[in-house]
Amino acid sequence: MRPGNSYKTMRGLGKFHVLGEYFFSQIMGKPLYDSEGRRLGQLRDLAILWEGEIPKVTGIKYVKGVQAHISISHIDAIKRDRIILKVKFADCALIPLQPHEIYMGKWLLDKQIIDLKGSKVVRVNDIKLIWIEAAGKNLLVPAAVDIGVRGLARRLGVEFLFKRRENHLVWWQFIQPLEEKTASLKLTGERSQLDRLHPADLADLIEDLDYKTRAEFIEDLDVETAAEAFAEMELDTQVEILEQLDSRQASNILEEMPPDEAADLLGELSEERSDELLNLMEPEEAQEVRELMDYEEGTAGALMTTEYIALSPDLTVNEAISQLRQLAAEAETIYYLYILDENRRLSGVVSLRELLMATPVTKLQDLMSTRLIMVRPHDDVEEVADLLNKYAILAIPVVRDKDQKMLGIITVDDVLEILIPDRSSFETFSNFFVSKRAVQ
Amino acid sequence: MGPGIITSNVDNDAGGITTYSVAGASLGYKCLWIFLPMVVALVVIQEMCTRMGAVTGKGLADLIRERFGVKITFYAMLGLLLGNLGNIMSEFAGVAASMELFGVSKYLSLPLAALFTWWLVLRWSYKVVERVFLAACLIYFCYLFSGYLAHPQWGVVARELVVPHFSLDSSYLVIMVGLIGTTIAPWMQFYIQSAVVEKGITVKDYTYTKYDVILGSIMVNLVAVFIVISCAATLHVHGLKVDSAKEAALALTPLAGKWAFVLFAVGLLNASLFSACILPLSTAYFLCEAFGIEAGIDKSWREAPAFYWLYTILIVVGAGVILIPKISLIAVMFWSQVINGVMLPFVLIFMLMLINNRDLMGNHVNSRAQNLISWVTVASIISLTLLMVWTSLFPS
Repeated sequence: MRPGNSYKTMRGLGKFHVLGEYFFSQIMGKPLYDSEGRRLGQLRDLAILWEGEIPKVTGIKYVKGVQAHISISHIDAIKRDRIILKVKFADCALIPLQPHEIYMGKWLLDKQIIDLKGSKVVRVNDIKLIWIEAAGKNLLVPAAVDIGVRGLARRLGVEFLFKRRENHLVWWQFIQPLEEKTASLKLTGERSQLDRLHPADLADLIEDLDYKTRAEFIEDLDVETAAEAFAEMELDTQVEILEQLDSRQASNILEEMPPDEAADLLGELSEERSDELLNLMEPEEAQEVRELMDYEEGTAGALMTTEYIALSPDLTVNEAISQLRQLAAEAETIYYLYILDENRRLSGVVSLRELLMATPVTKLQDLMSTRLIMVRPHDDVEEVADLLNKYAILAIPVVRDKDQKMLGIITVDDVLEILIPDRSSFETFSNFFVSKRAVQ
Repeated sequence: MGPGIITSNVDNDAGGITTYSVAGASLGYKCLWIFLPMVVALVVIQEMCTRMGAVTGKGLADLIRERFGVKITFYAMLGLLLGNLGNIMSEFAGVAASMELFGVSKYLSLPLAALFTWWLVLRWSYKVVERVFLAACLIYFCYLFSGYLAHPQWGVVARELVVPHFSLDSSYLVIMVGLIGTTIAPWMQFYIQSAVVEKGITVKDYTYTKYDVILGSIMVNLVAVFIVISCAATLHVHGLKVDSAKEAALALTPLAGKWAFVLFAVGLLNASLFSACILPLSTAYFLCEAFGIEAGIDKSWREAPAFYWLYTILIVVGAGVILIPKISLIAVMFWSQVINGVMLPFVLIFMLMLINNRDLMGNHVNSRAQNLISWVTVASIISLTLLMVWTSLFPS
């Protein structure tokens, strides 16, 4: 609580002057006196309004069970042992809780939030407020949440034991509350913040949430981001989340995923649930996934993806490169370009290296290699692995027996995933009875 | 297998076996009546926890923290910590007692057991461990046969199951509190709720879990009733008391003859080791969960130091206390359960306040009957405890 006298500036506030810094636990319960020294009650909670970038405290809840507040503008001073108003109680305008306002303590204290900087789900132990003077007005602004051990000790009244530890603060712009967001809170630009996280971090966050919060959270993300994060999770977790999400959300995510992964995932669900989800997906996407699901587990067909680069033999190298530019985003690998005739029969393959080294006007049909190494959809995974190993290639085409039509490719990482035994058995312990969530 | 059945099997631990044996040996059939009301209470209470887990998707420690704040959580968790430390001690006492039946000194068996549990959980797949231990828990069904072969007076058994007895004798009251404490242990409520959350059970597929809870509660009480019958028919009729594992093992003589010791020792060892694996870990977990400290064995020691240290300390202290020369193993196992019984009402009150909160549970709050049964349970245990304390202080 040291009064500052230098002016600072902050986005959303302009120039301001710090009058004091407090932790919520330090002002909580402080008695409230009016200008005539009459005791009105004590600080029970703070009503805050979060519009734009900076949230502001608007009122003080001072009696239990009464939903009317003393406006923050009446505050004269926050002292060590009391809070003093500028006016007589009789002159105080009492304001009820407004639609977009929220009780800060009830809403945040002890609850889980996302720390966007550390990209972790954490629990709020305390809240730091600053008492400032800006543009001639006094404002009380929540500046950060305390997620550290020292904050915990402060709440328990034993902060002195942890005096040497730094407070572990997360500044307001880096928090993402998880509960009871009012309409105005959603406008704070949080979405773009979340979209900026790495999908793997986002995946960890989503795994850490309980299933209800998770559904709301995924709703807030855009589908692409959610699907990217989803792809980073372990299969068990994916299945669990898909079972719990509502069908619409689940099918939206599946649509965004590569069809082979979607097929694997749906294969793990109950038939009823997987049919339900497939019916909600775009018919075209669903059809692709259905075909992939028809192959037996452990066969090339079940493993393959349909997202590969297919080019016509008549293209020149130059044209091929410009087409590649457009197709690259969707494909699983771009290292091999498969040359298909008009009936989608596989006639040759060109590697990216060959393409780059060739003269720009060469036609692909003159460049392509026609000694093809390929598998049939019903071939065993082991065979696929043997071929990939023997010929030292990164992906192998899957071709239909009867008409040589190209169905998909299998990349080496898909095979590795199957052949290398699962090393995540440690985690199954916590899967069993303790929540990985909750804690961090 | 669902969370209900698993939790029930973990509940048949060293403390449970001992308390049921002590009750059967010293009171005979006269304590049987408490099991029927206890099944009802156990079903209602565990169903509440599974419902809370399914509706909120959160653990009990989480909910207590979010609803009651740091201070209350701190005291609740301190209670849970001390209570569970008692339970952990009782598991290691079970290990020591069973190994002594094989003639192995506790000074050898305890350090090995502590190291084994510590290492096992950190280094091995939990799913395998769980299956092995649960399979071995079937040993308890031996009590069903042993009880039958001991030729109890079935007429008396049937009558005592339904006719309540009451006595103001302090040893009687202590045993009653112990019986309730071991059957409806506080830690079980935290455990079962976390299991529900972690298995991803939601309100949609909750019906199956309800039956799982009922089945589990009946199983644990059935085994308990037969332990009491076995002990009553073999020990109580001869005026024998359970002062060590040797006497407790005698209850299996009708089934196993001179192999009773081996059967009992293997069963007790298995139960103790299983719970000794689970309790320290779950306790460390719940504490960290409540205070928002990093935890989980998928984290490294450096990422979650508090969790690992707590886990290690619980094992070291739990096993260490039992190493004290001349400590009575049976007393540790029995009294830890009495402490469970004394603490239970507090956990139940938290649970009742949470589950009747509409903000949290929506339409899934308790029905009137559920509330009635729960509050009667709370009131009964509190009055039993007060009577127990009163009669111990003023024996006249």
